[in-house]
Amino acid sequence: MSDDPVLGSRIAHTIALKGISKMFGSVTALHATDLSVEKGEFLTLLGPSGSGKTTLLNLIAGAIGPTTGAILLDGRDITTMPPRERGIGMVFQNYALMPHMTVFENVAYPLRVRREPAKTIQVKVTAALDRVGLRGFGDRKPRQLSGGQQQRVGIARCIVYSPAIIMMDEPLGALDKNLREQMQGEIKRLHRELGTTVIYVTHDQEEALNMSDRICLMNGGQIAQLGTPDELYFRPRSRFVAEFIGESNLFSGRMNSDGRIVIAEAQLIAGPDNRWTEGTEVLVMVRPERVKIGHADGFAKGHTNVLNGEVTSTSFIGGMTRVTVKADNGLNISAKMVSGHAETRPELGARVRLCWSSSDVVVVGN
Amino acid sequence: MSPAVLIAVAIVLPPLLRIIYTSVHGPALSLTSYAEVVKSNLFRETLRTTFIIAGSASVLSLLLGFIVALHLARQPAQRRTALMVLVLLPFWTSILVKCFAFTIILGRDGIINSLLSWIFDTRIQLPLVLNRIGTLVGMTNYLIPLIVLPVLASLLAIDSTIYRAASIMGAKPARIFWTVTVPMSLPGVFAGLLSIFVMSLGTFIIPALLGGRRDQMLSNLVDFYNRQVLDWAKASSISIVLFGIAAAFIIPLILWRRRKA
Amino acid sequence: MSETIRDSHARRYRILGDALAVAVYLFLLAPILVTIPMAFGSTNALSFPPTSYSLDLFRIFFSSPSWLEPLFQSIEVALGATMVVMLTGVPAGYWIARHEFVGKALITGIIMSPIVIPTVVTGLGLYLYFSYLRINSTTLSLVLGHVAYTLPYVILMIMAGVHKLDRNLEFGAELMGAGLIRMFLTVVVPQLVPSLVSAALFAFLLSFDEVIISWFLTGSNTVTLPVRMFSALEWEVSPVIAAVSTFLTAVSLVVCIVAIRLKKWTPVDA
Repeated sequence: MSDDPVLGSRIAHTIALKGISKMFGSVTALHATDLSVEKGEFLTLLGPSGSGKTTLLNLIAGAIGPTTGAILLDGRDITTMPPRERGIGMVFQNYALMPHMTVFENVAYPLRVRREPAKTIQVKVTAALDRVGLRGFGDRKPRQLSGGQQQRVGIARCIVYSPAIIMMDEPLGALDKNLREQMQGEIKRLHRELGTTVIYVTHDQEEALNMSDRICLMNGGQIAQLGTPDELYFRPRSRFVAEFIGESNLFSGRMNSDGRIVIAEAQLIAGPDNRWTEGTEVLVMVRPERVKIGHADGFAKGHTNVLNGEVTSTSFIGGMTRVTVKADNGLNISAKMVSGHAETRPELGARVRLCWSSSDVVVVGN
Repeated sequence: MSPAVLIAVAIVLPPLLRIIYTSVHGPALSLTSYAEVVKSNLFRETLRTTFIIAGSASVLSLLLGFIVALHLARQPAQRRTALMVLVLLPFWTSILVKCFAFTIILGRDGIINSLLSWIFDTRIQLPLVLNRIGTLVGMTNYLIPLIVLPVLASLLAIDSTIYRAASIMGAKPARIFWTVTVPMSLPGVFAGLLSIFVMSLGTFIIPALLGGRRDQMLSNLVDFYNRQVLDWAKASSISIVLFGIAAAFIIPLILWRRRKA
Repeated sequence: MSETIRDSHARRYRILGDALAVAVYLFLLAPILVTIPMAFGSTNALSFPPTSYSLDLFRIFFSSPSWLEPLFQSIEVALGATMVVMLTGVPAGYWIARHEFVGKALITGIIMSPIVIPTVVTGLGLYLYFSYLRINSTTLSLVLGHVAYTLPYVILMIMAGVHKLDRNLEFGAELMGAGLIRMFLTVVVPQLVPSLVSAALFAFLLSFDEVIISWFLTGSNTVTLPVRMFSALEWEVSPVIAAVSTFLTAVSLVVCIVAIRLKKWTPVDA
């Protein structure tokens, strides 16, 4: 919760979905879903296209009505309320600025709708444009601005009327990479300063990891996993989550009596995990950047999970270099190392030794 | 805003219902006026004339319109926009202006006959108007702009690299025309032809002003029963038949377009 | 050196195509090319090209009540029809473009039907219906008849305009709290200005030039200019018709030019 001398005190709001679902004809776009967003939380809906994240967003905004279930804003049922009465703000991917209005008029629009006095409008719009770094741009037409500037107008138009919830539908999707990262920082700053509850939709996992308090990862019209960025990255609970977020080596193995996991006849040690009983088939993940790679005769004794193999490909992707190794036991393992000059990278066909710590082995599920 | 939709329906629908009502409501509620119409020689003769005129005018317009569309499609975009005025201006010109002009051009002492008389140095008075020729000339002039637009659209939709590919492979212009241009523009040509045919089935002004007394179309027959005979049941029946014929041609076109979309 | 490679074969085809196209252009423009000079000819001869030039025919056109009254009647009807058709067609077109409702296909089919129904059928239907309502031969019946005739074109043009708009603008305005009518007036209408102007112009011209429906609906006191011209052409071909034709062509030309200019015009840069 936070205050702004002009834009007013922000009382953060909660939103809760109870068994909400949506069918389009005979196609289920969203299976019955429960989700609650806390006060002042920055929640990201992440997922591939067609995963149901946009459907979920449109249901909350009121663009479409749900097939079943209820939507509660601060505990009040708003399921059948028309969009204009919900008091929700939205930032659109394509900005959705009125081309026939100036920047000032665009930002003033929600205030004019609310019949606020001209003086208040002047003060609030100026404050909102200040907030997004567009002081002095009020007289321009949207078309005269760059993409980044247009989206700042979109954000200013949203914060100016202090909506209960701000929804952002891939707001940075149309911007190039550098600008996108800069804007991510600005949206985070605005969220910190204003304390509004934000629901953010993106298909870019880095954006989601960087910005969110919690991520709701969607797949096939269902929530695949809901949790903090750390939880989703380090403790994925399904193959989909492990593969969608970050890169991963996934192995299937079997639990041994002493907590070891047997994979392709090699004994791998996983961290203590008592969720599974002996003999259970489990899916195990090791992140490539946790796999150490060294000379074939490297690594002192005492390391666990040591494998020998041959380099089958290397790719230089900037800060990191990805090395794929075919281990002698038949597993294909990818490792990531901090990039050095070309001569320090392993050559194709070179014999190498891999190892990783038992605490980096994550049991994804069974 | 939805009331506007209802108002729109309220303006358009009642006249249609009224005409159906009148067609079956002569002396008594029956289909007699349809039966009488279908049996009458005047109707059969007019129906045949209507189909012949509409068919030949449409095909003629397609041939001439295709020439214009090909020419426009070949021009650079800017010049094409300028030349389009030559098609759009006739498109916007009143049908009455055209009829007036063609009575002057085609009349007994009209421009063409005067020109021929001057060339051959004798008095020539070819009957070019108030007969089938006059009707066809007027209708062709009226229909060409209507077919140029869809045909041009389908010609412009042909990927120009296909022409380059064909000519690199050694095809001569005539072969390219018959193997690329014609087949690829066929859907647009077909749709355009069908729609101008349906439009010409209902022409009224042109046969009335440029056609002969014995060369009238179904629309003129409707007017005749309405204005001269004052038999509204027959006028309505002929209208419904005309409507039915038009619908029989236009509905497949609409369905075909929808399936393509 | 020439920049392009000469292909004499292709060139021959091109010249043939150009020649044929020029002939068709001439045929298309012939009516205009003939009537305009004649309009400036003398009052007693129907010859082309005219032997002497004057403005006499226009003087007759603009001074004789038998032509002036139909002209004013046509203007009145066209203005009335344009107003009614815009007030109905714009919201209806928007609604059809943006909303799904029960029987949408049937309802739009009915509204669009005057485009494909032969005009004589529409004309007779309107005549019979207005006789039943006892408003035949009135200006009102002409206005309503022309509304029925122009409505589908206006709705189609508005729908095409609406489909080009970004739906999010409308939804965004609604989210920000605007009611339907306010949203329509502040978001949709300003962006639709080019479509609105061209639809209105088109409706005006359609109505102003309309002959067949008017032929069925006019009474002796409500004769429109095209009906006056039609009956004149049916009986005698008088030289003054050349002046009337030129006037009608000029009206079409103005509308045509405005419509073409509008295509390049967008509300943002204005």
